[in-house]
Amino acid sequence: MSDAVVARAGTALRTETAPRRRWSPGGLAGAVVLAAWAGLFWFLWISGREAFYLSTRTDWVVPIAAVLLTLATVGRLASARVVVPRPLPARELWIMGLMVVPVVLVLFAPVTTLGTFSAGKRAGFSGAGFSASAGDIGSGELTLIDVAAAETSPEGEHALAKRAGDTVSFVGFVSIRDDTPADEFLLARYVVTCCVADATIAEVRVVNVTPGQFENEDWVQVTGTIFPIGREVIVDASDIAAVERPDHPYLTP
Amino acid sequence: MAQIAERRRLAQLPRLADRRTVIAVGATLVVVALVVSVGDPGRIAWVRTFFVIFGSLLIQALPFVLLGALAAALVEVFVPIGVFEKLGDLPRPLQLPAAALAGIAFPICECGSVPVARRLMQRGLMPSAAVTFMLAAPVLNPVVIASTFVAFRGRTTLWTMVGGRFLLGMLVAIAVGWVVGNRSKDELLKPNPEEVDEHLLELGRPEARWRRFFVHLGNDFLFMGRYLLLGATIAAAIQTFLPTSLLTGLAERQVLSVIAMMALAAALSLCSESDAFVAASFVQFGPSAMLGFLVFGPMVDLKLVALYAGTFRRGFARTVVLVAAVATFVGALWMGVAFG
Repeated sequence: MSDAVVARAGTALRTETAPRRRWSPGGLAGAVVLAAWAGLFWFLWISGREAFYLSTRTDWVVPIAAVLLTLATVGRLASARVVVPRPLPARELWIMGLMVVPVVLVLFAPVTTLGTFSAGKRAGFSGAGFSASAGDIGSGELTLIDVAAAETSPEGEHALAKRAGDTVSFVGFVSIRDDTPADEFLLARYVVTCCVADATIAEVRVVNVTPGQFENEDWVQVTGTIFPIGREVIVDASDIAAVERPDHPYLTP
Repeated sequence: MAQIAERRRLAQLPRLADRRTVIAVGATLVVVALVVSVGDPGRIAWVRTFFVIFGSLLIQALPFVLLGALAAALVEVFVPIGVFEKLGDLPRPLQLPAAALAGIAFPICECGSVPVARRLMQRGLMPSAAVTFMLAAPVLNPVVIASTFVAFRGRTTLWTMVGGRFLLGMLVAIAVGWVVGNRSKDELLKPNPEEVDEHLLELGRPEARWRRFFVHLGNDFLFMGRYLLLGATIAAAIQTFLPTSLLTGLAERQVLSVIAMMALAAALSLCSESDAFVAASFVQFGPSAMLGFLVFGPMVDLKLVALYAGTFRRGFARTVVLVAAVATFVGALWMGVAFG
């Protein structure tokens, strides 16, 4: 900002009560970026698609972000008329455009979740603090989270061992690795605490499967008898039914 | 000669956006939309994994950047200049611990603390205290401590993890603040071109507060957002391809295991409010390595390094990374041996 410009602006203010305002290109471009992100968060909230990115523990950020970004957009627009607009460098406009690319990706890419590609790369879920108390596992309906959590603590393992022979029913996706026998698969489900970036995996081995009936990433409901063997849990399937991908594909501990 | 000099001067000026630039940017976005909706690159497993992780990192972190920008704009517009300068009257040994403990009252994760610290510096808080606050807030805040408690409940190392994270987090933040010393904000902060906004040209009378508030809110969000985008891209790429099992082979070697878990924390770029659950899943690792993960991750990760690189001058960002790494490593090893 040169002194001459300030002096001119100052002179103008002394002679005119209300200086003429014009749209600032930077203010407008910023408002477009804010509006794009506000639109994305409204879309995620209304469509329920936030479940594909966040856990139920943290999805409250979506409506809050939608409202705050909308207010920020309105405020940015309302303050985008200035006395002396500064020209916007082309590079800055390209950066603003780049900031809209993730919005385009989320809005236009088909809905998808983590699948078998990540299964071997993720750590196993360990949630002794949530559910692996002997009391929780020793009675009541067993969930996939209970089973996975029990595998990582001696007390949980012991309590789960007492449930051998019980009937369980789990929903998850099929994961078949190179060394998986033809009449087995891993039933997997990601456990997300905050967002998908922190996903860990809960898996059980399902046996007594008709070879070739299911493929990787098919969503199924497995009903059968549970047999915890050391740190591995086997489900002897009595019924396996294909199901739709759940609205909340990730589990929250 | 004069003409040549004038041409050179004009060539050095940034090219300004015109109608053609607007059309080119818009057309590029349309092409991206067409490619992802018609081409469906998500059919390729790694592309799909990358999209999901990248999207989730941004969707989870951007609201916190926005909250940080909101707090920063409130500080800028409503807190009188000089309020923070009074903290400089405290004896130096008290300044940094006080700044670190202020993080307890600020339940926001690391993405939000950067814009707040930057604004606090600009409003007169000593840079060393602002940096200490920036690093401590994501580790010491009550939500993070509670989540650490829940993640490790039922384990013999529960109190080593909860207490160790709090104490070591505070010490590392203070150590970095101490190294910053008496450096001024101009030595640390990069100038933000957006800061020289058009409103400064209206010095004839004070600009309305609400206008200044929204200008600062938008500028901070857009400034931090671009670096978050860069960091999330790198973090998502690493998460897509890095098998965590690569590191479990190092679990038995105490020194290497701490380094491995610190490196993993930096690569994964998790939110400090959820990272304890991931740390807890690495049951093969000892308490030193876990502490390294829990303390270093909220202070230095890929998305944060991108934010630091955008906010601070290069030398300072490097100092933060180095001092935080060394202090965390030494502290985690010591705590693991003493209390593990």
